[in-house]
Amino acid sequence: MPEILLTSAGLITAAGRGAAPVLAAMDAGKPLFGDGPGGRGLPWPTAPMDPADIRWPEGGRWANMQKYANLSAHAAVAAALLAMDGAEPAAGADALRSGVVMAVGCSGSDELGEVFGKLAVRARTDERPLPKLLYDEFPDYSYIRGIPSQIGQFVAIATGFRGSNVAVYGEGGAGGLGALALARRLLRSGELDRVIIVGVAPPLAAGILTAYDREDPLGTEASPGRGPFDAERSGAFVGQSAVAVVLENADAAGLFGIADTPVEVVSCQTLCAPERFNALVQATRGAVHEAAAGPDLWWSHASGSVAQDAEAVAAVAPQVCAPVTSSKGTIGASFECGALVDLVLAAESMRRACVPPVGLLERPDPAFAGAGADIVTHAPRSLPRAASALLTALSHSARAATAGAAVLSWGGGR
Amino acid sequence: MTQGRAVTDSEIVITGMGVVTPIGDSVAKFWAANLAGTSGLVREYRMDLSQLPCGWVAGIIQENLKVQVAARSGRPGRSWGDTLMHDALAQALDDADLGRPLDVQAALVWARVWPGPSGSFPQDYPPHLEEAALRYEAAGADQAASVEYLRGKELPGELTDSSGFQAEVAEKLGTPLQATRLEATCSGGLRAIAEAARQIRLGEAEVAIVTASVSRSTPYVLSQYGQLMALSRWKGEAAQASMPFDARRSGMVINESSGAVILETAGHARRRAAPHAYAAVGGWGLAVGTGHVTAPDVGEVERVIRAAIADSGLTPEDIDTVNAHGTSTRLNDATEAAALRRVFGERLAEIDVCAVKSLTGHGSAASGVIETVAAALTLTHDVVPPVVTCTEPDPQCGVKTSLTPVARPVRTVLKCSFGFGGQYAAMVFRKPERVPAA
Repeated sequence: MPEILLTSAGLITAAGRGAAPVLAAMDAGKPLFGDGPGGRGLPWPTAPMDPADIRWPEGGRWANMQKYANLSAHAAVAAALLAMDGAEPAAGADALRSGVVMAVGCSGSDELGEVFGKLAVRARTDERPLPKLLYDEFPDYSYIRGIPSQIGQFVAIATGFRGSNVAVYGEGGAGGLGALALARRLLRSGELDRVIIVGVAPPLAAGILTAYDREDPLGTEASPGRGPFDAERSGAFVGQSAVAVVLENADAAGLFGIADTPVEVVSCQTLCAPERFNALVQATRGAVHEAAAGPDLWWSHASGSVAQDAEAVAAVAPQVCAPVTSSKGTIGASFECGALVDLVLAAESMRRACVPPVGLLERPDPAFAGAGADIVTHAPRSLPRAASALLTALSHSARAATAGAAVLSWGGGR
Repeated sequence: MTQGRAVTDSEIVITGMGVVTPIGDSVAKFWAANLAGTSGLVREYRMDLSQLPCGWVAGIIQENLKVQVAARSGRPGRSWGDTLMHDALAQALDDADLGRPLDVQAALVWARVWPGPSGSFPQDYPPHLEEAALRYEAAGADQAASVEYLRGKELPGELTDSSGFQAEVAEKLGTPLQATRLEATCSGGLRAIAEAARQIRLGEAEVAIVTASVSRSTPYVLSQYGQLMALSRWKGEAAQASMPFDARRSGMVINESSGAVILETAGHARRRAAPHAYAAVGGWGLAVGTGHVTAPDVGEVERVIRAAIADSGLTPEDIDTVNAHGTSTRLNDATEAAALRRVFGERLAEIDVCAVKSLTGHGSAASGVIETVAAALTLTHDVVPPVVTCTEPDPQCGVKTSLTPVARPVRTVLKCSFGFGGQYAAMVFRKPERVPAA
């Protein structure tokens, strides 16, 4: 089987563009939560993307296609173009050997909810049958705008990757590790040489956040002592992001020019089980076993959720002996693509041989130390030997019971 | 066959199948209706579509069957989309007679089409819309006020487009499953089968379960596809509304449906004495087109068909019959036919083509799984189903359809699925050359 290398990435978060600003904020203990653009006033602090970081390509064709593009599509294209790093879209045989995998949900934006409310009021008195009312008044293309692989077609256009396009998301997504696992298969099978995986966590509508809060409480105080792994944590923090990673077969690596110090994606599994905890135990076991060596760093999904953080420690800590960190206390949880964000951050941490501390963490839950979790607190920690990293991810909903794990190796393929 | 892949224990075979469709809630009924040309299309009676410019007909599961499906597979809080998948999957698992707990690595790939924020049925809309209106009156566009309004209120199950489906299946099978929920618009079902087969090819699973469902004949979705003018404008008898490759075709008919197939290695099937091996997966081709958001491209269709045939180790001369995507839209059928002509040349006139959507309507992602069931049965029974609505074949398409079943030896079936967003998929299925001992 060919080695699968991470050869380029694009990232947009509340810290701006790229991984370095996120790690700098984590190092400095500077959380990035706020009320978000427009001052939405929600009870859950959010780490928002800056709309100025989300750029839509110029030109007549792109202007015309905007009618099919929602906010997630804009963010996806912006992240994909960052990952392309100025490279021209793939062409010829190269384009047909390159594919797209999306990690973005169907129903995530505010667009639909607001229009529905207005039309619902109007429907009470409008004489037209409801289908006709919606036909006349609903913005054109609103349904197909939200289809994940429809967004993927924009990524295909922007990158020239025409091999295939599919979305992996929802209850099977595991924060983007489902997409990563599928992309690895496309490469390991020899079907493609190169895949761009693009994930988006857009601003979520009030109804969707309410549903998430009922599944597992969201954090209401983004303040010290409420962070992931903290004894006083009380809920998962919400983030927004767009992320793109380019995976390539070792033989094809180098198109985008940063393969001189690549990271190998050694293993990735997403499993569902009757209980989420068991899914995480077995996904971690499988990913670590396939990597054939214990990781030097564990980049955890830990989000500030009472349940998820406890499950993460109980499931993973007995299997690995490595310092653990999490980005969620700084940039929040990007539900559909949080693990892809963490993949980029973990790779950058391995490059700089330094692991950032967990944001908003003051006093680690005493139970976690007993379980053997070596949590990075308060200050960054040097890792003289950061040769491999374990990523883990959980579904936000316990009833969905999907978990994923992946192992990265520094210097793979070279 | 000229250069078929050697039959080995690692060959991937379909050993279990299940469907819930407008023409039957079991594989036996579905196949019988296919051969008899029994339509499941009816004039939509659950909402007033008279003022829409198209889309007055739908493929609806009969109400009495819905009750039975709900009784068999429904649970409190379970969405209709999940209920449909559970029902098809239960049929497929029973058909395959898989022991439980599964004692091998297994994968689950599923595609549940999101019906929009207000559920799967037109009758869901009045209460949901009234709730949406009350919320809008109370909160307007103020998100914080919306959250306050929603406190303590029931939320539509479809809101987050997420469920515990896969965990329930894992519990039923008594084992963790490699989980992939995917979406590739209307090619999603066939793509799901390809993804499952790839996991088996790579040795990551010995058994892979695929299921997909759709139920979205609602005011919102019809209004959206109506805006695209993608729906049938046929004003005559409802059963004739979907007429793939007919000169009078005017658009697709959307349906509610689900399908499921069980894939496993031939070796695993033989060791456990599986009762069936309906078909073997030959190979597949996948592509994304970047030319247009909704319009199909003949070059891309040709590309995936050629790739599927090559991946199967075959040549175009080895393909006996085609199970077409055949949506009944002007552009899709003409494009698909043009691509088939490019691949098969003059021989296309001799290749029997079937189009299941002529009877069921279009089930989006579910259609790829359901039509694979028909393809597998075509191989099993050596019969190509008719296209009874193609009574005036379009000479521009020039494909060979029949008004009656065609009994003939069938060694291979080419199956095509395409979708909005530049989605293209094709697979080749073959008659299994080694039937597991019962």
